Amino acid sequence: MAKVKRQQVVSAEALPFKAEHYREWRRRQIIRMAITYIAPLVILIVYFQYRYVGLEDDSRRIHLGAIAEHQANTLDLFLTERRVNLANLIDHPRFSIPPSSEEMADYLSDLGRVSAAFVDLGFFDSSGVQVAYSGPHPSLELQDYREEDWYLTLRNAEVNSVITDVYLGFRQQLHFTIAVSRLVENQFLVLRATLDPGRMYEYIESQQAAGDVITCLVNAGGVYQLVDEHAGRPLDDCPIPISSEKHFGNGMIKIDDASRLYAFQWLRNADWSLIVQSVKNTGGFLGNMRLSSLIVSAGLLLLAVVVIVNRAGKLVAQQKETDQTRAQLEHAAKLASVGELASGIAHEINNPLAVITEGCGLLMDYTDPQFGHTLEEKELRERLDTIQSSAFRCRDITRKLLRFVRKTDFDLREHDVHDIVDGITDDLLGPEIEVSNVKLERNYDRTLPKLTTDANQLQQVILNVINNATDAIGDASGTIRISTSRRGNEILISIRDTGCGMTTEQLEKVFMPFFTTKEVGKGTGLGLSVSYGIMNGLGGEIEVESTRDVGTTFILALPIKLKR
Amino acid sequence: MSNKIRLLIVDDEEKFLESIAKRLEMRGFDVRTATRGEQAVEITREEKFDLALLDLKMPGMDGKQVLEILKREHKYIEVIILTGHGSVDSAVDCTKLGAFGYLPKPYELEKLLDTLQQAYKVRMEKKFKVDQARMDKIAKLATGSSALGILRELKKLDDEEK
Repeated sequence: MAKVKRQQVVSAEALPFKAEHYREWRRRQIIRMAITYIAPLVILIVYFQYRYVGLEDDSRRIHLGAIAEHQANTLDLFLTERRVNLANLIDHPRFSIPPSSEEMADYLSDLGRVSAAFVDLGFFDSSGVQVAYSGPHPSLELQDYREEDWYLTLRNAEVNSVITDVYLGFRQQLHFTIAVSRLVENQFLVLRATLDPGRMYEYIESQQAAGDVITCLVNAGGVYQLVDEHAGRPLDDCPIPISSEKHFGNGMIKIDDASRLYAFQWLRNADWSLIVQSVKNTGGFLGNMRLSSLIVSAGLLLLAVVVIVNRAGKLVAQQKETDQTRAQLEHAAKLASVGELASGIAHEINNPLAVITEGCGLLMDYTDPQFGHTLEEKELRERLDTIQSSAFRCRDITRKLLRFVRKTDFDLREHDVHDIVDGITDDLLGPEIEVSNVKLERNYDRTLPKLTTDANQLQQVILNVINNATDAIGDASGTIRISTSRRGNEILISIRDTGCGMTTEQLEKVFMPFFTTKEVGKGTGLGLSVSYGIMNGLGGEIEVESTRDVGTTFILALPIKLKR
Repeated sequence: MSNKIRLLIVDDEEKFLESIAKRLEMRGFDVRTATRGEQAVEITREEKFDLALLDLKMPGMDGKQVLEILKREHKYIEVIILTGHGSVDSAVDCTKLGAFGYLPKPYELEKLLDTLQQAYKVRMEKKFKVDQARMDKIAKLATGSSALGILRELKKLDDEEK
């Protein structure tokens, strides 16, 4: 029981990050996976919907086009029949010129039986005056039509029949005119009938199947001739632009935020275009999406979201576990390294302490009368000296250790890197090296920029490395070569010696505290580990390469501008 | 032949070696010193020792290796390990290899003397037992041998003692 409890405590402590970190991480995972999985899904859904809607759109356009063609044909047939009705009258051998009003009334009632659209009938002699009339507007008899457009058209053009646009005319009522002309014995005769467009509209409306389309008729000027009372009023401008170059066509128009498909077909008998509009609002892409496909798409997306959220949760749990394990491992490693460090310190300090205790013991023995020994002043001095230097050895170790552990405040200034190096080689080591067997070579890149760093700390590192180099050369003669160069935003100080080099095993441990190959009292095994710490603190790196019996090269890499 | 306890001290810390040797000499030990493992092995091949103090960590041949050689080459030598290392694991290892015991540095002199005394006692006991067996053997032998033969055997025993 206790064990489980302890584990729980450990794991809670071992988690290196806070809950917010994992929430943030989870959020990022979800976004990442959403981009990876949902985005292609959405693109696919949109693409297929788009294609589907496009196909449906096309088929509806074709359907509308077919209706328009059919209705236009019907209307053409209607107009042809009405024209033929008039032609039959005027071409009849018994047609008297001018016809009497009784005859006209007979003709009109005959026409009325053929089509309810006929309103009245008029006859014009060469003067362009309506000399015979039958219909609801007898006041129009004897009216002069010479200046009317349709009359002029008949008169001037090659054609012998004309169908006018819908207009209000003298009678202020919507109507249009069908007129046929004949040249009989050099007399220009015209028989004309006006028709009620409303009746004609009823005719086509009765033809059309369901109420899902609206039909209208516009003239070449884009003016309604016939129109559903909900869609517009005759003689108003039609908002649908109709191409006069194409005999038929289709398109989409937006009226009052509603998008509607339409198709048009020009008539052959009149300068009219028949337009069939879809009543349904196509609503563009979204409007056309089927509800079922929307539901399926939403379901797919929802499924993807659920999977992703679930997966992200699992990933976070996994990550938590990994972090926990890593933290525990790190903790264990830390403990191990603390143990290693402690035993290293113990060894390094216990030995000089033993020198001290034995030295003191010896002095006590000398002054103990039971041994009957005398103590000369010279010997006393030597013994005390040994004791003192051993005590200082202990102090040096603790001091270096503290420097290794603590990050001291750096004194950052701009320096020429060569001044720093020369400060060591000339002032500190100069005399020592001159008499020794070591030759010092310099290979400086004088174009290097100034370096912002702590000169004292850096000198400490250089000193440590050069000391190691001279020790590696030992009693043999050798060379230490110091070079400076630039690598990107770093300045490199390379210190190469021709000493004994290191084995791979030694190379691996080289920066470990208390690792030394030197004799007792000569090395603490802290020099390079301290250097490593300093270089870290200076934002740089210390690198080493070594070949046994060939030599060792230490490279100190420092950022030109140290960011704190 | 002196009646002093013959002691070999091996440590690479010369100052330490000098002081401890002087102090133990003042207390009646016959002391030889070595600063290297190799040197210690050489000395024991020339002279006989009753006891040895060995530093564990030395450059070159370390205390453990020296211990193994000493125990192999000398039947009755008792070895005490001195260690400055914080961990006693390696010292305990050494007792398994035949060391009498270990002392962490720095130590009180009294403790060292006590340990040396105990080690010497153990050595004497071991040797005495063997001696007893030897004597018995000689005694058995004596029944059928000349007086000169018995004397020769006893002399051999005495030489071995050194």
